[in-house]
Amino acid sequence: MNTTLSDPSHKPLFPRGPGLGLKFAFFALLSLAFLFTDGHGSDSLAPVRHWTAWAMTPILWVAGFPEAVSGGMDHLRSRESLLAENRALKETQLKQEARLLRLASLEAENQRIRELLASASALSDRVLIAEILATSQDPYRHQIVLNKGERDGVYRGQAIVDAAGVMGQVVQVNATSCVALLITDPDHGIPVEVNRTGLQTIALGRGDGQGLSLPYLPGNADVKVGDLLVSSGLGGRFPAGYPVGEIYELRHAGGESFMEAVAYPRAKLHQGRQALLVWSERVAHSDAEEAPAEVPIDLPARAAAAAGSKPVAKSRPPVVKPAESKPEATKPSDSKPAATTGQTAVKPPAAGPAAAQPANHPGTIAPASAPAIVKPAPAATKPAITTKPPATAPAPASTPTTRP
Amino acid sequence: MSRAFSFAFSLALALLLQIVELPDSLALARPNWPLLVIGYWALYAPQMPSIVAAWFLGLCCDVLFNAALGQHALALVIAATLIARLRGIYILFPLWQAALALAPIWALYTFLMFWMDGLTHHAAEPALRWLPVLSTTLLWPIFAGVFDGLRIRRARDLNRLRLP
Repeated sequence: MNTTLSDPSHKPLFPRGPGLGLKFAFFALLSLAFLFTDGHGSDSLAPVRHWTAWAMTPILWVAGFPEAVSGGMDHLRSRESLLAENRALKETQLKQEARLLRLASLEAENQRIRELLASASALSDRVLIAEILATSQDPYRHQIVLNKGERDGVYRGQAIVDAAGVMGQVVQVNATSCVALLITDPDHGIPVEVNRTGLQTIALGRGDGQGLSLPYLPGNADVKVGDLLVSSGLGGRFPAGYPVGEIYELRHAGGESFMEAVAYPRAKLHQGRQALLVWSERVAHSDAEEAPAEVPIDLPARAAAAAGSKPVAKSRPPVVKPAESKPEATKPSDSKPAATTGQTAVKPPAAGPAAAQPANHPGTIAPASAPAIVKPAPAATKPAITTKPPATAPAPASTPTTRP
Repeated sequence: MSRAFSFAFSLALALLLQIVELPDSLALARPNWPLLVIGYWALYAPQMPSIVAAWFLGLCCDVLFNAALGQHALALVIAATLIARLRGIYILFPLWQAALALAPIWALYTFLMFWMDGLTHHAAEPALRWLPVLSTTLLWPIFAGVFDGLRIRRARDLNRLRLP
């Protein structure tokens, strides 16, 4: 009657099961084993991670609940604010329409110029809107959790952008969610170029949540405060041409050979609830894991290949698809082959370097997913040639025309 | 049965509170909820499997924060073991003194985090590491008092006349 503590909180007289030290040793060793396995980049613990993340889905969902509720509160907003917002949106839309008009012509021009260069670099990217479930739970890791996962085709290393610029990349993919590292995380680096001059460099996260640092600028680099940084697409992970940040400070200590620039990210990293997942076209075709490593900077290589093998016929796009190219790659250039091949097919008898040309054909045009095919033309064109054994000069001159 | 439920529930709640969104300025000083809950169970209910729970909770934290797998788990297990081992001393203190006496354990946890971040080559802002130690220490008396009160009240409801 007078026991103030319930019985189980006393130490049992004869304890059963393993003792404290043994339990501690077991779990500490287990953790250490996990740490070392994980630290050495092995993938054997991926299932553990995957299933733990799966088991915690309800907790994530509950954690996002307040936001969902406050989102529901939006229904109760006043009419005035809705009207004002509507007006602002219309204005923005009008402005953007105007810019879009220019974009169409610029895109067409870009397409023509790229065709001159014989490069089929991706212009339009596939995107998917994802909701941000959670942000920076840890003040010194700049990460966000998005509500799209493996099920939606998200892959590791995928770029994430918002309306204003590049946000980061996916570092972990779960079944229905993914974790993305923001560009301001100290572990993150993104290849950028200065939009005004085309200077290539790398922007690293500073870890203070709002800055990017460009530590590897030569002392005499042509960089100014206010310069826009855009993603350069080197490394193949980020699609080229998206705004990344804007330089606001230059630091050049006397006697140092490198200058450091500090930039603010363009993307609104801690505002808004949506982000865009971007499939860079070249990655989407091939295996997502290794594609970024393999995809080289295709522009110079292609230009060189094209220039080397085709001194003539520059004015027309020599763009023909090999028969086995993926269907979704049939973009704007699709309508051209008929006209094009008509032209090029006439040429070989007359032109001298034509011998190289037909063999080169299927290779050059291979969609962006397989840029490696460009260089060793005869070997790489094998799949195309197997359908038509005579790979010698005269016969293939007509090959393209027979293709649909 | 009901104790097992409150045990599991408190663990889930700790995870939830650790990831729920806070304003940026507050998030810096977010107390370490898993550590608080595990510390509470290790100190006041030694018959509970707090070390096992610490390991699983740590694993969940690792996945949530995308840290190296085992990082939070190891630190939580060490903290739980220390508290369980030193329970005889801590249990004698009144609540506020216990809060102060437990602060070194929170600091040790933070240091372990710091150290393992270094091992796994994750650069972190060291100054930000120490705010949670302070907030956890400050929160301990409130948390332990309230949680203890809840448990005792329920125990009283369950078996009347047991407690004065």
